[in-house]
Amino acid sequence: MTKGAADLRREPLKYRLRAFFGKPANLILLFFLITLTVLSLMPMITMLTNMFTVHAGTEKKMLRQGVGSWTLNHFQMLFADREWSQSNFWTPFLNSLIVAAGSGLLGILIGGAVAWFITRSDLKCKKFISAVFVFPYMMPAWTLALFWINMFQNSRVGGGVVGMVESFFGVCMPEWFVYGLFPMIVVIGLHYSPFAYLLIGGILKNMDATLEESATILKASRWTIIRRVTVPIVMPAILSTFLLIFSSGFASYTVPVFLGSATRTFTLSTKMRALIQAGYEGQGYIMAFFSILLGTAILGLNQYFTGKRKSFTTVTGKSGQVSLVKLRGAGGVISALLILFTLFFAIMPLVSFALESVIMQPGNYSFSNMTLNFWIGTEDSAFETGMPNGILMNGTMWMGLLRQVGLALTVAMIVGTCGMLVGYACVRRRGSWLARAVENLAFFPYLMPAMAFGTIYLAVATSASFKWMYGSFFLLGLVASVKFLPFASRSGVNSMMQIAPEIEEAATIFGVPWVTRMRRILFPIQKSAIMSGYLLPVINVMREVALFTLLVPYPRYLLTTMLFSFNETGYAQYGSAVTLLIIVMIIAINSLVNKLTGASFDKGIGG
Amino acid sequence: MPQIILEHVSKRFERFVAVEDLNLEIADRGFVTLLGPSGCGKTTTLRMIAGLETPTAGRILIDGKPVFDGEKGINLPPNKRDIGFLFQNYALWPHMTVYENIAFGLEMLKWDRQRIAARVGEMLELLKITEFGKRYPAELSGGQQQRVAIARTLAPSPRVLFMDEPLSNLDAKLRGEMRTELKRLHTDTNSTFVYVTHDQLEAMTLSTRVCLMESGRLQQYAPPLEIYNRPANTFVASFVGNPTMNFIPARVEGREAGTARLRVLGRTAVFTGDLPPRLPEGVTLGIRPEFLPIREEGPVRAQVYSTLPAGMETTVKLKCGEEMLTSVVFGSVDYPVDAGVGLDVVGKDIVLFDGENGKHLSQGALQF
Repeated sequence: MTKGAADLRREPLKYRLRAFFGKPANLILLFFLITLTVLSLMPMITMLTNMFTVHAGTEKKMLRQGVGSWTLNHFQMLFADREWSQSNFWTPFLNSLIVAAGSGLLGILIGGAVAWFITRSDLKCKKFISAVFVFPYMMPAWTLALFWINMFQNSRVGGGVVGMVESFFGVCMPEWFVYGLFPMIVVIGLHYSPFAYLLIGGILKNMDATLEESATILKASRWTIIRRVTVPIVMPAILSTFLLIFSSGFASYTVPVFLGSATRTFTLSTKMRALIQAGYEGQGYIMAFFSILLGTAILGLNQYFTGKRKSFTTVTGKSGQVSLVKLRGAGGVISALLILFTLFFAIMPLVSFALESVIMQPGNYSFSNMTLNFWIGTEDSAFETGMPNGILMNGTMWMGLLRQVGLALTVAMIVGTCGMLVGYACVRRRGSWLARAVENLAFFPYLMPAMAFGTIYLAVATSASFKWMYGSFFLLGLVASVKFLPFASRSGVNSMMQIAPEIEEAATIFGVPWVTRMRRILFPIQKSAIMSGYLLPVINVMREVALFTLLVPYPRYLLTTMLFSFNETGYAQYGSAVTLLIIVMIIAINSLVNKLTGASFDKGIGG
Repeated sequence: MPQIILEHVSKRFERFVAVEDLNLEIADRGFVTLLGPSGCGKTTTLRMIAGLETPTAGRILIDGKPVFDGEKGINLPPNKRDIGFLFQNYALWPHMTVYENIAFGLEMLKWDRQRIAARVGEMLELLKITEFGKRYPAELSGGQQQRVAIARTLAPSPRVLFMDEPLSNLDAKLRGEMRTELKRLHTDTNSTFVYVTHDQLEAMTLSTRVCLMESGRLQQYAPPLEIYNRPANTFVASFVGNPTMNFIPARVEGREAGTARLRVLGRTAVFTGDLPPRLPEGVTLGIRPEFLPIREEGPVRAQVYSTLPAGMETTVKLKCGEEMLTSVVFGSVDYPVDAGVGLDVVGKDIVLFDGENGKHLSQGALQF
């Protein structure tokens, strides 16, 4: 290239800076670059130092070192202290791996099969199955765990409480079926199977039908087409779904708490909390760091699968009329089975919680044993319920509910707005390092299991300079906002990508200011997607436990943490009542927002 | 009056150079097309003039007023440049009706309601879409959407109208119709048009001047017929004209005043024209297919490779030694494959290019 006049006429820095700051997208990116660096890197650093320093309490005495001095003791105990590390690290770690892999496989199997039936066969009642099938995904994962216990607990295992199956059918399930790794896999796998269904189904639906049709013309059989064309094309999506369920399963805290406590089956996240509460903070932080590393590795693997040349997930076409596979006689049977299956896991939990919250003596489902005192009891019934009054009469409960809703709305406002802005700015400046950095920073919290994320903020809030934050509503809001930003920023990016830049430029040429462009052009076009960005954090906060459990000032501060304290202290009826309340509220919020804006927590792909 | 001047304008994206030291003068009320293959920098140039893209360096003046100056740090936003922009994908706002789409820009100019209604009505009538006022863009066909986009762009009466491949999303028939309409619109609106296209036919038929670019560099800026007849280099010559010009390598064997003896297609020929002082040994002859008629007694022998009759004219591909030549014959003729025919060279617009760098050397006649 010749050194022409152009090189000599490069703009001076001053004007380039002015041009840079003249674009709103750049300002937004800069703001988030700084904020997100502080909010995600700072806590990481605090946690890292905590891994290597002596903590107060027993440890100080044991090591005979001052608090805050350097030590490698945590590592030594966790990894090299034979028995201690076996029971406190290796076994929980292995359990986590088994649960994660098992639930990933199960989720893909169920979700993938349903996705195929809905998109590629002439199944009956598709609309209904699709709608009901995604329902459990909206409910907190632990509701299924609680439901499992309510159903299958029996006189021979755990606390010896009689569950519904034994009470009605006289069948006692063995312990491995009721508690431990097996039910964890089933529950987590079931919970995430709608997620697999939505992802795989979405791809199957958008996949160009001509790809399969051309194979038909070449005389390939149905089965050959599935094996040689369909599956390879959706394979990257399947792998990526598996990894996402794997990492969620690995990080799951609530399900192992419910299904593992009775048999003392620990996973990494339940152990992490136990250790931190037992004064082994350093070890707990190492575990948190370890799970963050693992999460990062999994996401890296995911990017590798979805990013490389053989990723076909974006293959879309005119997707004409797919010739549906005729199930003939089997169709009716499969439809019936699927309807029963989805109903069982969508409706039965509600029935079960309603029942459990009104019976006095657990396991006895006769009318004479029923009471509404757990709901609306007053001081007169205090003796039989063990609490001063029913939850609807209880001030603490109402305060917890109010705080939870307040937190959900606050976080939704912050996260929804930030997600949209990040999406806008990243799409407008796509390809620049700044946009890449912000997109990655906003996604970073996703890599951290909620328990680990709570842990690092705990580390910050217990450090000297941030003591004022500990146990505050502000801290909970901050943590939840950062933790739930990944989804919102992803959906922000996706929705903004759908708007061609010309749509905005056409307005720029008329001299429409930025705020007006956002308000009158971009927002209305993507209204439904952007509202979903606001809705998702509401539901996430309403059902979140792991993130808050270490950070609340006292267990009954929020509704969800209250529920856990009820269950830990043996008030199963209150627990069921609160669970039912949470589910009903989530459904109410979702359908309200859906009515108003057309946004939905998870848009079913329909029949 | 809106005259547009570009001085030493460059645009770099990190390492990639999109436009390199571009100088251009677009006359008032001109219809200038930026022509070139995809990725040549034509759209970037248009967007820089419009203010949608910031140049890395240089100066842009519209109507004598600098709208961008890298040195002085001037960079007016698009809305201060008094322009209209027509996008390739129309960029109609999907959530507004046709009426609202057209009225929006006028609202931003703070026009009163009545005046807006009158102007929108006028535009709907001009573009013959009055009956679609209440429809949404998704309910219109491609051609109708195109008309709405034009109406929206013209509504505030911009003095300069920029168009980025506005016809490429239309089918061939509609494209032809819209071409006619655009040319008419150019006269009716009395404004300057700058038009981006990769379709050389569009550029040839519409514009008063064509700016041909490749790899971010200006190749030639001239009226369409000059581009066609006196291409500045082999790239321009091959890009413009369909079927493409024949490029035949030749060797200079000797020269006298005004003539040069060439060895071409295994024969000796004499080139007569305005020759430069020095001729390289290796040259390329550029002969348009219409200057290469098939004649029984023609001096050059060739074999028919294939014949492509199109009704009005017939394109004949011929094999002459190693060279594949193209000839265009008026009317519909079907030559049998592999038939031997004679070729002649006629006309005064045979071009002589430098065999090394492809630059235009001379223009003249060729005789065997």
